[in-house]
Amino acid sequence: MKTWERIKKLFLDNYEFPEERLCPEVTIESIGLDSLDKIEFLFALEKEFNIKIPDREVTLNSLQDVISVVERLAVEQHIPKERQDA
Amino acid sequence: MRRVAITGMGIISPIGNTCEDFFNNLAAGRSGIRRISTDFAERLSIRIAAQADFNANDHFSKKIARTMDRATQFAQVAASQAWQDSGLQLADGEKTRAGVYLGTGMGAANTLEASYEQLFVQKVKRLHPLTVVMVMNNAAASLISIDRGLKGPCLTFSTACSSSAVAIGEAFRLIKHGYADIMLAGGTESLLTFGNLMSWESIGTLALEADDPSTSCRPFSKDRTGFVLGEGAAVLVLESLDRAKKRGAGIYGEVMGYGSTADAEHITKPSVEGQALAIKAALEEACIGPDGIDYINAHGTATLANDAVETRSIKKVFGRRAYTIPISSTKSMHGHLLGAAGAVELVASVLALRHRTVPPTSTLTVPDPECDLDYVPGNARTGIDLKTVMSNSFAFGGTNAVLIVRKYKND
Repeated sequence: MKTWERIKKLFLDNYEFPEERLCPEVTIESIGLDSLDKIEFLFALEKEFNIKIPDREVTLNSLQDVISVVERLAVEQHIPKERQDA
Repeated sequence: MRRVAITGMGIISPIGNTCEDFFNNLAAGRSGIRRISTDFAERLSIRIAAQADFNANDHFSKKIARTMDRATQFAQVAASQAWQDSGLQLADGEKTRAGVYLGTGMGAANTLEASYEQLFVQKVKRLHPLTVVMVMNNAAASLISIDRGLKGPCLTFSTACSSSAVAIGEAFRLIKHGYADIMLAGGTESLLTFGNLMSWESIGTLALEADDPSTSCRPFSKDRTGFVLGEGAAVLVLESLDRAKKRGAGIYGEVMGYGSTADAEHITKPSVEGQALAIKAALEEACIGPDGIDYINAHGTATLANDAVETRSIKKVFGRRAYTIPISSTKSMHGHLLGAAGAVELVASVLALRHRTVPPTSTLTVPDPECDLDYVPGNARTGIDLKTVMSNSFAFGGTNAVLIVRKYKND
């Protein structure tokens, strides 16, 4: 599944949010997540993508930002075994 | 000193999730005690419990359901039922005079245990970010106040098996002495987890499974072996009587007295003196003598110690009169709801008043010479004109709480 599809599924599984309104351009603000919701969402992303999102190091305004950060961290943090050994 | 009315009630219990179902089942002697089928059951020696038939998704959005422990969910639904039942609609100015007092023994036991399992067994790197706000013991009371904007006192009491009786008693006094006009009061408990069931198994107070599991808890019976753990919640709306009358509210009854004492003797062993003092204190506050009580909902846990001691406490206070008061332990049907027990049993007592029906000790079949009072064995008694009822709650730790409610007659 593509990153976007997985993020979308995460959203739909966890929140009552109309699917047709979910697109990469949507801002986190407009979805109506409060500060606790945001922390919870980051936690869900970490679990889904098996990554660690460093505290305070990411700015997430839109869902497109989320996609970019997740994809970047996934590449950085999922280093293939042979490269680790090198 | 102001008088205090009960104007709304709500319940989630192993024998019904409305007051109507709950009392119909009590009156019919139906038990909610069953074998449990969870995956950890095979590692338990005692595999019975009184579970509530409750699915969070029937009551909450996914997001809300996910961020509340099961005990908190129970309390929320019971509070909503009670609030709706009371018909209350508060103006903003009145909300500073309204509050929430809840009792719970072990709070968010399910979430806590699941979190530890993730940490110790699955070795996760992080716990859910809302773990703290889910497991704190005041979560249930706080969410009830947040939902309705109630800005008066919001407290959580934890005195084991008397927690919710204490919460109701303290809320009653708050209104009586003028610190609040309206209180949502009650308690909640949900701890049928592997760790908790194992802990209870070890302390040796749990009933052994009977051939018919639903009869495993047999209060006051010579062959009693202990209690069955249950889960649920009950919340009552307490309101100053004047206010309730002025708005034409339906009044279930008037809270008359509350006795609160500590045994100050032993962490688990009950004390006749401590219990009798609590009963006496409640009677004194209600300004009634031993002849004034028409029904006692006993603590009646079905442990060897409790039932014998409670019987002696009742006799100590009521003397000869003790033999003519119908006394029952509804734990025979709904199990022991620990922190929610006092509230659930007060609801049972108030509904007994309303329906002129004394619920039975459904499983009492073998009389015990040490327990020689009228425990309403087997079947309910209908058409009984009850005026004043008493509910006993006695806890591990020795905190005793006794509540007295009188039928309200328009005056």
